[in-house]
Amino acid sequence: MTSPSKIRVDFVALLAACALFLSTVEYLVPKPLPFMRLGLANLPLIIALGLLSWKEYLLLALLKVLGQALITGTIFSYIVLFSIVGTTASVLLMYLTHSLFRKWVSLVGVSIAGAMGSNSAQLLLSRYLLFGEAAKLIAPPFLIVGLITSVLLGLFAQQFILKSRWYKKYLEGGR
Amino acid sequence: MQKVRLGDVIIFLLATLLIVFSFTFYKGLSGRPEVRVRADGGEWVYDLAADTTATFKGPVGETTIEIKEGRVRVVDSDCKNKVCIAAGWISSPGQWIICLPNNVFVRLEGSLKGGTIDDLSF
Amino acid sequence: MSLANLRLLAGLIALPALLFQSNFLALLIQSAYIIILAVSHSRRFKLLPNLLLLFSVSLAHLLQPNGLHLFSIGRFPVTAGALLLGAHKAFTLISLLYLSQYMVTARPQFPGALGKLITLQFYYFERIREAWHIKRPLTEAIDEMLLELEVDPSKATKRETSKAPLREFLWNSIHIIVLWALFFIGHYSILPRLN
Repeated sequence: MTSPSKIRVDFVALLAACALFLSTVEYLVPKPLPFMRLGLANLPLIIALGLLSWKEYLLLALLKVLGQALITGTIFSYIVLFSIVGTTASVLLMYLTHSLFRKWVSLVGVSIAGAMGSNSAQLLLSRYLLFGEAAKLIAPPFLIVGLITSVLLGLFAQQFILKSRWYKKYLEGGR
Repeated sequence: MQKVRLGDVIIFLLATLLIVFSFTFYKGLSGRPEVRVRADGGEWVYDLAADTTATFKGPVGETTIEIKEGRVRVVDSDCKNKVCIAAGWISSPGQWIICLPNNVFVRLEGSLKGGTIDDLSF
Repeated sequence: MSLANLRLLAGLIALPALLFQSNFLALLIQSAYIIILAVSHSRRFKLLPNLLLLFSVSLAHLLQPNGLHLFSIGRFPVTAGALLLGAHKAFTLISLLYLSQYMVTARPQFPGALGKLITLQFYYFERIREAWHIKRPLTEAIDEMLLELEVDPSKATKRETSKAPLREFLWNSIHIIVLWALFFIGHYSILPRLN
């Protein structure tokens, strides 16, 4: 992990743009129930773990949330709160898991941790903000879907890292 | 493909534990005690756990109940004798308060612990 | 004041009138007004997801019975008060949603370094959309695109900050007045309360 104290602004913006792109892709996929999210927009966040300093990583997370909020126009409704809460929880967990347990955990584990953290935080929020007691009912299917999608996402990310030339290039030392 | 490591499996198991845990929430949801009020116009239902007040119209005026801290009482009524108000708080399923002049009948139904005690009928 | 900032400001001023609306009927009118507003600024309104939202939030609130008992599903009481509460929350959310969509129609820019970053992010976003082709195998396709997109420092476009025309001031004032009027109508129960 390179760590110049300078933030590589263009690089982070590019990754954030990927997250934005993926969230529009996800938006186009029809979902039977509103909370069955694929979490595609988290892919850059997962892959970037090995590439960014912690400051850059936080910046990436911030840009992801803001960009998504702006482009979907949800920025002043309380949906953005779910995005903030979920992304914060997931980013924290993923970063910690990755930096502390790198030897034992691949991106799959990191992805799962992030998704579970994000979903749990969002469930808590929905308990008080939107659904009341019914949040308890939604919890199991929501978490199960989160587990499945995060495993798949993690597997894809892990595979991408192993094969990608672009990734290797940035791994070996920034721009 | 690529190796899945030990940490991944552990995290996966932890996640499964979390999911199993979330299923336990289902238990607490049914069998919550309810406040059922029968008055002119129909029947009303309230969750005993949610603090609120409600007013019902009857032949002699209005009767108001208050649900607070898991108990319910008649807090105000337009009837002459105010027996219903004097009845005070009720908190166990099966108990009831009635305001005869105003045709308001308040009773507690449901069970305190997930469905083992059946509610009494009148 | 630029158009973007004007709409942003107008929306922020109108926001509490929605959030603190206490009358369901007034809320419905406010929601209709805002949806029409957003759609007239070429935002899309898709019926299905909003219906789904209304449905699921209302349903969720049924879990805590409140009010007139309409009917029962098995032992489960369906109450009018709970439905109303759920619907009220859902419409509040929907109206806030479309309000914020309206607020960003003129592409407001965030101040400072963050603002520049977001502009940069959107710049790359447009480039990704142009450069993206789906190909099997997937990882290679992504790889190629990323390598191709080699970072072109700060070609980010400068946002025009022209002043907003007078009629926009007029219109936005009208929006604010209408929404707040509906708030007070609701507050003073000029429209019937349903609960």
